[in-house]
Parts: sequence; C-alpha cells; structure tokens
Amino acid sequence: MSGFSELIKSFDKTRDYMRDFFIYGCKVRNDFKRKSSRTYDDEKRRVESWLGGFLRYADSARGRKISICVDSGHIHENPLYQAYYSKSFTDNDIRLHFFITDILRDMAPISLRELTEELDRRFGIIFDEQTVRNKLKEYTDEGLVLTERYGKTAYFRLSDERADELFGGTAGLADAVKFYSETQKFGVIGNSILKSLGLKNDIFFMKHNYIVHTLEDEILLKITEAINQKRFVVLRSFSSRQRHSAAPSERENLVLPLQILSSVQTGRRYLAGYIPDYRRFNSFRLDTIKSVKLAERAENYELIREKYEKNMQKCFGVSFGERRDSGTVVPIKITLHIDEKTEGFVIKRLYREKRCGTVEKVGENTFAFTADVFDPFEVMHWAKTFIGRIVSVEGGCDAAREMFFRDICRMGKMYAENAENGESEENNDNIQ
Amino acid sequence: MTIFSEIYGAYFRIAAAVLSKESLTEAEIYDIINKMGFRDSALFLPQKLIPRADGTDWGLLRKNHDGSYSTVLKNPPAAILTKLQKMWLKSLLSDNKINLFLSEKETELLAERLKDVPKLYKNEHFRFTDIFTDGDDFGSERYRRNFSAILNAIKRRELLEIQFTSGHGKRIRAKYLPIKIEYSQKNDKFRAYCYSFGHRRVCGCGTINIGRIEDIAETGTVIRSELSEERFLSRMKCDQPITVRVTAERNAAERFTAEFASYEKHTERDPEDGSLLVKIFYNPQDETELLIRLLSFGPVLEILSPKEFREQAAKRVKAQVELIQNKK
Repeated sequence: MSGFSELIKSFDKTRDYMRDFFIYGCKVRNDFKRKSSRTYDDEKRRVESWLGGFLRYADSARGRKISICVDSGHIHENPLYQAYYSKSFTDNDIRLHFFITDILRDMAPISLRELTEELDRRFGIIFDEQTVRNKLKEYTDEGLVLTERYGKTAYFRLSDERADELFGGTAGLADAVKFYSETQKFGVIGNSILKSLGLKNDIFFMKHNYIVHTLEDEILLKITEAINQKRFVVLRSFSSRQRHSAAPSERENLVLPLQILSSVQTGRRYLAGYIPDYRRFNSFRLDTIKSVKLAERAENYELIREKYEKNMQKCFGVSFGERRDSGTVVPIKITLHIDEKTEGFVIKRLYREKRCGTVEKVGENTFAFTADVFDPFEVMHWAKTFIGRIVSVEGGCDAAREMFFRDICRMGKMYAENAENGESEENNDNIQ
Repeated sequence: MTIFSEIYGAYFRIAAAVLSKESLTEAEIYDIINKMGFRDSALFLPQKLIPRADGTDWGLLRKNHDGSYSTVLKNPPAAILTKLQKMWLKSLLSDNKINLFLSEKETELLAERLKDVPKLYKNEHFRFTDIFTDGDDFGSERYRRNFSAILNAIKRRELLEIQFTSGHGKRIRAKYLPIKIEYSQKNDKFRAYCYSFGHRRVCGCGTINIGRIEDIAETGTVIRSELSEERFLSRMKCDQPITVRVTAERNAAERFTAEFASYEKHTERDPEDGSLLVKIFYNPQDETELLIRLLSFGPVLEILSPKEFREQAAKRVKAQVELIQNKK
C-alpha cells in the first residue's frame, strides 16, 4: 500500500484516464499506451476508489476491461466530479486551513505577527511567518480571507460570506444550485457549494447529459478568464485522431478565444478563436487542449469579435472553412418530402433544427432547406437524420454530394440483407 | 483560481464535519469518513485525524479521558463561499431559467449582495450550436407558476391536479404526484416525472411536459407511502437493448462513443478491424430520436438488432434509395 494515495497532485493525467474509461469503455490494460503499467494500475485504483458503484468489469480475450457505466440521464450527481475533490495537500495545508480560520473567527482583524503567535498559543505549533504569509495570500486570492491595511501593516479577517447564511436568507437558492450544479457551465462549482452545506441534488435529472464535459472545466476556467479579459492565449493541443497513440504530437497556437461552441447532440465542445498567424478563425476541441496560458491583451478585440459574429452566420456547426478571415461560403439546398397531413411533427423538427438555414414550402408535401455555409459536410451529417425523405441535394460541394449518394447506396445494400445479418449477430452476441 | 483545490476536497470536508462535533468516538469518525469519503478513504484518513503517539496525525483532535475525541478548535468550522463560488453564483443571475427558482425580490437581493463580484462567465461566452429553437418559455408567468407548483409538490410529496395537452394532442386532467424534474439541454425543456393516481392509488406513471400544462391545482393530499424511484425508472428502460456495429472508418468509432456517451451502453471492440459492437440501453419513448441519430452515421454504423428496430431503419433507407433512383 505504501506509495499509493487516493489523492493526486495533477489533474491532467487523471483527466485522460477518466475519459478513456468513460467514453471508450472497451479498453484493456495494454491499450493504455501513454504511461507505464504501474501508472495504469494506480490510476485504475483511484478511479475505483472515487467511482466504485459506477464501474463495470468485463473479461474478454484481450484482457479485463474497466469502464465507467452510467445512465447519465438518471443520476443525481455527476460522478466524475469526484476527481476534483481529490487534490493532494501537505499536513501544514490542512492544519493552517482550520487553525487560521478558527483564529480569524474570533480575533480579526489581526496582523500576520499576531496570527503566527496565536497559532503557537492556541494550538502549540510554531509556524514560520513566511509559511503563514503564503497561506494568507493564497486564501486572500481565493476570497476566503480579506486584507485591510492600517498604515504599513496588513490586517486579516475572514470573509463574512457564509454559505449557510446566504442560502438561509434566499429560499429558492438551494433548488437553483441543485439544478445548475448538473449543468454544463461549471456545474462542479455548484456541486462544491452543495457539498459544503451537506446538501444533495434530489430533484433534477438531466437528459442528453454529457457528464464527461466536466473533465474540461479547468481548461474552460482559464479560457473564460481570457475571454473576460479580452486576452490571447497560448494553446497547446493535439489532434483528436492521435488520441490513442502513445505520444500524440502537440502543437502550440496563439489564439484569441471568442466563444465556447457546444453541441448538445454530438457531445463535443469547442473553443472558437482567432489565430492571428493564419489570419483566420478556427475551432479547437476542448478535450484535445492540453494547456492554456494567458498572453497579451487584444487591442482590436471588438473588430475581431464583429467579424466572428458575421462568420458565425455561415457556420452550421463549428467549421469556419479554409480561407483567411472569412472562409469560402457555399450555398446548399436540400429538398425533402414530408406528408403535411400526417407528419406535421417532422415539419416542426425541420424548423426548429434549421440553425442558420431557411426552410420554405416549395410544393405539395415538399419543403426546401437552404443555407450558405462554410462546410457542407456539417449540413449533410444533419441531413442524414432525414433519411427516407431527401428528394434532392443541390449545391454544397461535389465531394459532399457524392459521399451522400455513395453512403445511401451502401446503406441500401447493408439493410437489404435484413434478417440474416441481424439474426446472425444476435446469435453470436457475447457482450457481458 | 482553480476548481482543483484541496479547499473543495473530500478530505477537507470530512475534517470539517469531524471538527464540527463537540466530541465523538473512533467509530463515529469512521462513520463520517465512510459516508463522506471515497471508497478507500478509511484506509488513509483515520491515522491522520485520530491523535497518534508519534505525532504524525494532523493535530486537529485531542483525546479525552473517556476515550472519545474533541476538536482542538474554539469554533466549529464555517463554510465560507470562495471567490470562485460567488462568481459562479453571480453568473447564474443572468440565466434565463433563474426566475423559475428565485423571486424577483430574491434575485435583486442576491444581486446586491454580489454586486462587487465579477461574473465567472457571461451567457454569450457559450453558444449551443444545435439546440432546438422551440424550447420552453421560461419567462412566462404561467410557466413559472406551474414549475414552482411542481417543485413544491415534489418536496412536500403533494398530489396535484394537472390539466395538460399530450404530445398526441389529447387534453388530459388527472391527479399526479410529481417525483422529479428532468431538463433536456437539447430540447431546452423541462418535464416532470409523475405517478398518476386514481382513487388514491397509483395507476400509472409518465412524464408531463411542463410547457404543455394548462392548469395546475394543489389537492392538499400528501402521499406518505413510499414510491420507489427505481420502480419509476425501470419503466423507462427498454426490454431489449439496441445492438449496433460501428466501423473504424472515418473516425466513426470515436465520433460514436462521444455522441452516445450519455447512454448506458456496453461496448466490445474487435481487435482485428477496430470496429465496435455496442449495446445501447434506452428509453422506449426516445426510440425515433435514437433511430434518426443512428442513421445519420451513414454506412459506418449498422443497426443489428432488435429485428423490429432494424426493420424500421431498413424501411427508411429503402425509401431513400427509391427517392434517389426516381430522381435519376
């Protein structure tokens, strides 16, 4: 047991393992190529300790696989939040946390020297003044401690923003935090508030819930800080296609972050930003970003933001095309057959999902979707949800149209072999 | 500022819970650790919390004559909101759903209390690219009233009389006990999970779209008998999962696993060709949604079973092939 701790220093490594366990769910020990087997064993044990009830094991010819198995639409709390509550610390960190806050509750405001002396008097431990100063600075940054200056001396007191008082005085706040603690925008912070008050979400479920997004929250925090300050960032990322390679090659870009683009259907989140070196907008998948470092302020932020908004009107998903500043826009038209009498719900769907496109009735039971977009492939992926109704595809690009027709032909053959395939697979099914 | 900090950590929380008691036994300390900690925390934490002769503990407790332990602190630890937590709360105040939870007065008071705190994020920092545009009208007075009635009924376990129009256009008025509220980010809608009651007995269960509720009235009847959540959820599970094969072509396996991450599923990978064989467990109510999403993967995903589900896919594909051939 010696050497192993269920607490961790760095979130990065754990983030990768948690993602692999959760998303892929079919990897065995040998598939984790990035680190040693020992590292895998330690990470696996930690995840087992944090998420016990959500883990599933299955033996296969390739070895034992471990996966995080969750019906994320019916859980009260995102189990992956546990990883955020596992930060390691020193003995002095925890002592100083409780001792300093205890003294500040009945002796504030108090100077550093008085505080250090009181630590010795009250708890019988002599702390170095510098150690106490560092902790006070850290807690001032975190907002737990407030600093006031009288002359040249700094005095410290505890913040009076007690969670129980705030929640006690605002009847609906607990319910609000229960709800928002399970949403995409830093829900883990809400969860930390609930936990500090001994509360749990016992009311809300989240459908179409991509719980894995929380693993990007630390990265996202840096990005929102940069957006708030209109700053460039140095972004270190890797290609998602290299995710499973032992040493994915990383690239560094200077990027002006503008917006988080989140798909509520594909489970992916992107950072949309401007790359000055290439003079173009680009999207980076959040789960491929390794680190974010704040850089200089953007002097022309408003101008870039304005251009970005114009570009977004031609963006069906997250792709900005290839050209500089403004990508190449192509018109695309998809004509659909929908029975107006019996399939009103499909027409409604078309309208609510058209995004930057327009929909018009062009004939009896015939509707046309048209859009000017950077990337017609993004439109075609969506259009395929209307399989069985697509009368024609015009415009876009040759490659996208050809791929669509080829795909339909292949699917036609695939599903023509109806019963045989389905039944034979059923008989051979050996999933545990 | 960081989220990954020990001040939010499980060990600090456990220590605070232990220190908030005037005195407690070793068994009680273990009990707190087991309730609030990770699975293995009891292997690591007790020796740091409970005083030890060699002084390697944290020095947070002292041993009493009767063998129990007391805190060395003068005051019970208080949960102070950090700057990060306050910034997050401040951001919530701009969300279009906050009025479902807070009255205007509460929102104003909270805004005043947090007036010097910057927002952690602004809503315009996020764009949901494919969210449906016919979401609920959270700002309407009727919606707020209905939402609040359901929320309160869940907490009080009170039976409500609800009138609504179903998805099939049928007007229904009956007595319901709401037990949960579901929010879909994709649909931008809330639904209530309800048991329906007839003659004071459960006669069914289902979901009611809060946006479809026309009238809602309290009945004053509180249901004290235990109604299990598991029982309700089990009715939302399919009898037979859908089995699909996803090829390694066009990065499909990666795309599929990300897109279907929200489903409970079992996955097996074929080491020869890298394809995935996946069983997806789903709510039968969502069958059509699932079908069209699976079909949108094109030929890199094949629906294998159940037979009826595959036939539905085959029917749509056949219709599409015919549309293309007619065009030619």
